[in-house]
Amino acid sequence: MSRAQADTADTGAGAAPLARLYGRFVWSRLAIIGVLVAALLVSVLFDVATGPSPLSVADIVTGLLDRSALPRGQAVILWDLRLPFAAMAVLVGAALGLAGAEMQTVLNNPLASPFTLGVSAAATLGASLVIVMDLSVPGIGATYLIPAGAFVFAVGSVMVIQMLARSFGATTDTVVLFGIAMLFAMNALLWLVQYVASTDALQQMVFWTMGSLGRSTWDKVAVVAAVLGVCLPLSMRKVWAMTALRGGEDQAKSFGIPVETLRLRVLLRVSILAAAAVAFVGTIGFIGLVGPHIARLALGEDHRFYLPGSALAGALLLSLASIASKNLIPGLILPVGIVTALVGIPLFMTLILTQGRKL
Amino acid sequence: MSAGLFLAGLSLNGVSVGYGGRPVLSGLDLPAVAPGSVVALLGANGAGKSTLLKAMAGLGGATGRPAGQIVLNGQDLVGMTLEQRVHAVGYLPQALPQGSSLVAYEAVLSAVRAVRPDTPRDHVEASIERVFDTLGLRPLALRRLRELSGGQRQMIGLAQVLVRNPRLLLLDEPTSALDLRWQLTVLETVRRIADAERSICVIAIHDINLALRFCDHVVVLGHGRVLASGPPTHALDPDVLRHAYGIEARVEQCSRGFRLVLADRALPDAGRAATPFQ
Repeated sequence: MSRAQADTADTGAGAAPLARLYGRFVWSRLAIIGVLVAALLVSVLFDVATGPSPLSVADIVTGLLDRSALPRGQAVILWDLRLPFAAMAVLVGAALGLAGAEMQTVLNNPLASPFTLGVSAAATLGASLVIVMDLSVPGIGATYLIPAGAFVFAVGSVMVIQMLARSFGATTDTVVLFGIAMLFAMNALLWLVQYVASTDALQQMVFWTMGSLGRSTWDKVAVVAAVLGVCLPLSMRKVWAMTALRGGEDQAKSFGIPVETLRLRVLLRVSILAAAAVAFVGTIGFIGLVGPHIARLALGEDHRFYLPGSALAGALLLSLASIASKNLIPGLILPVGIVTALVGIPLFMTLILTQGRKL
Repeated sequence: MSAGLFLAGLSLNGVSVGYGGRPVLSGLDLPAVAPGSVVALLGANGAGKSTLLKAMAGLGGATGRPAGQIVLNGQDLVGMTLEQRVHAVGYLPQALPQGSSLVAYEAVLSAVRAVRPDTPRDHVEASIERVFDTLGLRPLALRRLRELSGGQRQMIGLAQVLVRNPRLLLLDEPTSALDLRWQLTVLETVRRIADAERSICVIAIHDINLALRFCDHVVVLGHGRVLASGPPTHALDPDVLRHAYGIEARVEQCSRGFRLVLADRALPDAGRAATPFQ
């Protein structure tokens, strides 16, 4: 077709097989993923090193290899405080990044994220109710009851949105609108709960809501890791269907993809990921929204790269935010939820403005 | 006529499609169209062109499964699952999304992988190579879809359909958003593919003159049924056009031998167009 060629001859691709050209292109993407992984490792190292009592890189490496090689105090700081905090930042960031990416694809909306569609708000309401009612359930420790409340509400909110969407045969745009309505409803209820709460409970709630890595312990890290460990492989099994969905719902259906079933499963997975993340560190907005955008700018929307890239970008963002939370005000560790947006927005704007010109 | 010849092609027998019990199309018949044919679906907005294409593609959704038979090469498509149908039928929707950051190669690759995840890699690469060459899209392979023009994106959409080598292509207004050059490019390509691959192509299209020029068979839909059907030289007359579109029009022969429709004016009483066509 000479016309199409004439229109595009300036971009010139030679006579080499397309598969080989594309192969090189894939390598460049893998290289970007490699850079993200390296940046994440460096960030985690800094995160572990930073704090009221500084640890040197040498101390960290020594302590990681052999706990008993460090003085007892330093070993406790490294293994019981810094490492679980840093690991939690990475896991929660990855969970939110992955959840946001999948949500944006199945709802075909770049503004979708667990935060903007009320999943995080629902989790916060669930946690607040547990705090204010001072609930106790035999068999579940107090430290897990608040996360459990968050979890039940987050999954519940997605189920409600899905049920509404199903019974009205809603389009993806309507699902997004339901989500935004959910956000406002949850926030209103949250304010109501806060209004009637006792001063003690209110303080606990506000602190919880801000999002903090300070509650991280190894067993909580293990729970989030397990959730991510189950969800990420499940997501990766559907990468082709998800990539095809970027071509529109009708086209995806014409490829034989059961789009409704796929969307339901993805949204359930997203609610579990978001709930696990929010349940242990509180509300952290922004990452579920921006992680996917960074991945899209850097890696495109082939979900083989986009989904892991989004998880990595989310992890990197939260890890950087964790470092910043310890450095912004000397001697004080700010709740990471406050810092995330403050650190993330300049980074995000830079990316949009520099990459935007290329697109 | 041998059994093989009898079976080859596409025909519709008493096909009805509707939304929530309200029929949009009822009792459509289309006598067998031979392999290698390009069929134009004409009709006013809301006449059911897209609905019929979606029903043929199995994208019922709100309409559910159509009644009647849609027979392709001896097999009834209506009873097939989406997964069975996808191997025989390729569908290009009317509106392709604008903002995708996929590169063209990936868009076509996903069209193969999403349908048949276990196809051997060299086979996939060969079919993508072939379709990019056939459509002259090589230079676009590594460009992001959002950087492409509407016409280029439409060609990539066509590549996504053709890479699976379907026997039946359903194209929903593939030219409606394109400038004249791309309209011709897309239709010339479709014509060439139908001739070369002996596949059947059904195109919903608004431009009657392009339809008359590129298609072997014209089907005019209106008032829930087929108003006229046949070769371009016979199917259209001023009467059909008045009932289908509510316009006063002439059908004339151009110097190159094509039929041309010259629309003179919209008929003032739109209600007249809605009265049953006898």
